[in-house]
Amino acid sequence: MDGWCAMADRAASGRRASWSQARRADGLALRNAIPDRLLPVLVAAMAVLAAMALAGATGARVLSARWTTGAASIVTVQVPRPDDPALSAPIAAQPAPLSRGDAVLAALADMPGASRVHRLDRTELEALLSPWLGHGGGFALALPAVIELHFDRAGAGDADALAARLNARAPDTLVERNSLWSDRLGDLARSLQTCAILAVLIVVAVAAATIAATTRAGLGARRQAIELIHSLGATDGYIAGRFARRTAVLAFTGGLIGSLLALPLLVLLSHLAAPFAGPPAMATPPDASGWAGLLDALPLPLAVTLLSLAPAAALIGWLTTQVTVRTWLRRLP
Amino acid sequence: MIRLRDVSFRHEGVRDDVREDNQGGIALRRLSFDVPQGGFRWLLGPSGAGKSSLLRLLHLAVRPTSGRMEILGMDMDQTRRAALARLRRRIGVVHQDFRLLPDLPVFDNIALPLRLQHRPEDEIRDEVLSILDWVGLRARATARPPHLSGGEQQRVAIARAVIHRPALVLADEPTNALDDQQASRLMELFQDLAGLGTTIVVATHNDGLVRRYPAHELELAHGRLVRDG
Repeated sequence: MDGWCAMADRAASGRRASWSQARRADGLALRNAIPDRLLPVLVAAMAVLAAMALAGATGARVLSARWTTGAASIVTVQVPRPDDPALSAPIAAQPAPLSRGDAVLAALADMPGASRVHRLDRTELEALLSPWLGHGGGFALALPAVIELHFDRAGAGDADALAARLNARAPDTLVERNSLWSDRLGDLARSLQTCAILAVLIVVAVAAATIAATTRAGLGARRQAIELIHSLGATDGYIAGRFARRTAVLAFTGGLIGSLLALPLLVLLSHLAAPFAGPPAMATPPDASGWAGLLDALPLPLAVTLLSLAPAAALIGWLTTQVTVRTWLRRLP
Repeated sequence: MIRLRDVSFRHEGVRDDVREDNQGGIALRRLSFDVPQGGFRWLLGPSGAGKSSLLRLLHLAVRPTSGRMEILGMDMDQTRRAALARLRRRIGVVHQDFRLLPDLPVFDNIALPLRLQHRPEDEIRDEVLSILDWVGLRARATARPPHLSGGEQQRVAIARAVIHRPALVLADEPTNALDDQQASRLMELFQDLAGLGTTIVVATHNDGLVRRYPAHELELAHGRLVRDG
C-alpha cells in the first residue's frame, strides 16, 4: 500500500469535492455544556425585572423633567386689593392712576425672560378655590389678583428683586416661586430614578453571576474536550468565543422572551402614569391592537429601552462568558 | 528542532520535605540535549523514568521548573501565551491513553487539528478520508471511539497526530495496541515524515521495535538523561 504522505498529496492536488454537510465539530459540544432551557428562562426573568426597574427610572425621569420644566418655570404673583389705585403712575401718558392689579401686570409685561403673563379671571379663581370653599362662586371674601408669570426656563428671574419691584407699585404683593416645591419633587423623582438605576445594576449583576455560574458548569462538563483542543493549539480567544457566542444567543433569546412578557405590564403602567407625565391628550387610552399598537402605547424612551433589552442581555452574556472562560483557561499552560 | 539546557521539572503540590526523595515530585533533572530538524529519537527508560513527563514538556503541556527549552526554534522563556497556541498547532501528539473525544465520530476526531487551523471543509474531507484509508478505518469513519477496539483507537490517535503535517511529532508508546504489521507501517510513516523534515520523538518499551528500526536514543533513568546517542 502507498504511504499516506503520497496519498494525501494526490488527494490535495485533485478535485476538491464540495462538502455539503460541512460542520464545525470541534468537540466542545456546547449544546451539552450549556443547555438551551435554563439560561434563557433565568435571563427572561431578569429581563422582566430590568424592564420594570427601567420603566421606573424612565417614569421618574419624565416626571422630574415635567415638574422642572413645567411648574418650576412659573412664578405666581398675588396682589391684594387689586382694584385699589397703585402708588404711582410711571407712564406719563396714563390719563388716570392704574389699579394695583393693572400696575403689577404692566410691570410684569416687560419682565426679561418671561414668555407669558396671565391673570386668572374670576372663573379660574373660583375653580382654584373650590376644593376649600366649594362650588358656586359668589365668595364674600375679597380675593387677590392672581397672576401667573411663565418663564422660558426653570429658575429664571430673581424672585426677590421682582418682589421688591412690584411692592414699589403695589405694597403687600406676594411673589411665590413654584420652584421651591417643584425642586423638592424633582429631588424625590431623582432619588426614585437613582433607586431604579441601582435596581437595574443589581439585576445586571445577578444576570452576569448567573451566566458566569452556568458557563463555569459548562466548562467543568467539557473539561476533557477543552483541555484536548487547547493542547491541539486552540487559542483562548477561540474557546472563549465559542462559549460566548452560545451564551449570547441564549441570553438574547431570554431577553426577547422577557421583553415580550414585560410589554403588556409596561403598557398598563404607562397608561396609568400618563396623566402625571404629560398633557391631557396623553391620558387617553391608546389603541393597543396588535404589536405596533402596543409599542405605540409606550413612551418612546420606554419602547427603545424594551427593544434594547435583548441585545443588552446578549452583550452581557457575551462579555461575562468571555471573562469567565478566559479566566478559567489561565489554569492551562 | 528541540534544544534543552539544564531543564528540570517538578510536579506541583509536592512538599519540600519530600523533594529530595527520588520520586518526590521531581520528574526530570537537568536534562540537556538537542534534536535537529528531521531528527528521529527513541525515548527509552523504565516506567517512572520520566519519559511521559518529558513528552508533556515538549508538548508544552507543562512548563519547566528551571532551565531553558527551545521548541521548533522558539525559546519558551520568551514565548507569549498566544504564540504557544500557534506552536502547539505545529506539534502532533500520540498520547498513551489516546485521548479521543468520545462523543465525536472518528472522522471529526481526526479532523480536529485541521479545523483548529480553519482549513476549508472540502480540504479537510479529502485529507481525513485519505488518512482514514491509510490507517484502514474508512469504514469506521462515523463510529464513535467507545465502539472501537484499542488498536483502532490508537490508529485514530496516530491519524490525528499527523493529519496536519506537524513539524514535530511526539508519540508515547504509539505501537502498544498495534500488531507487528501495523507497527511496521507506523514506523515507515515516521521515517517518511522525518525524511520530509518532521522531528520525531517516540517513547517506547518495545525493544524489538527499537532493534528493527535503529536510531538515535535518549535514555532516561530516575529523571536523568543517562544516554544520548
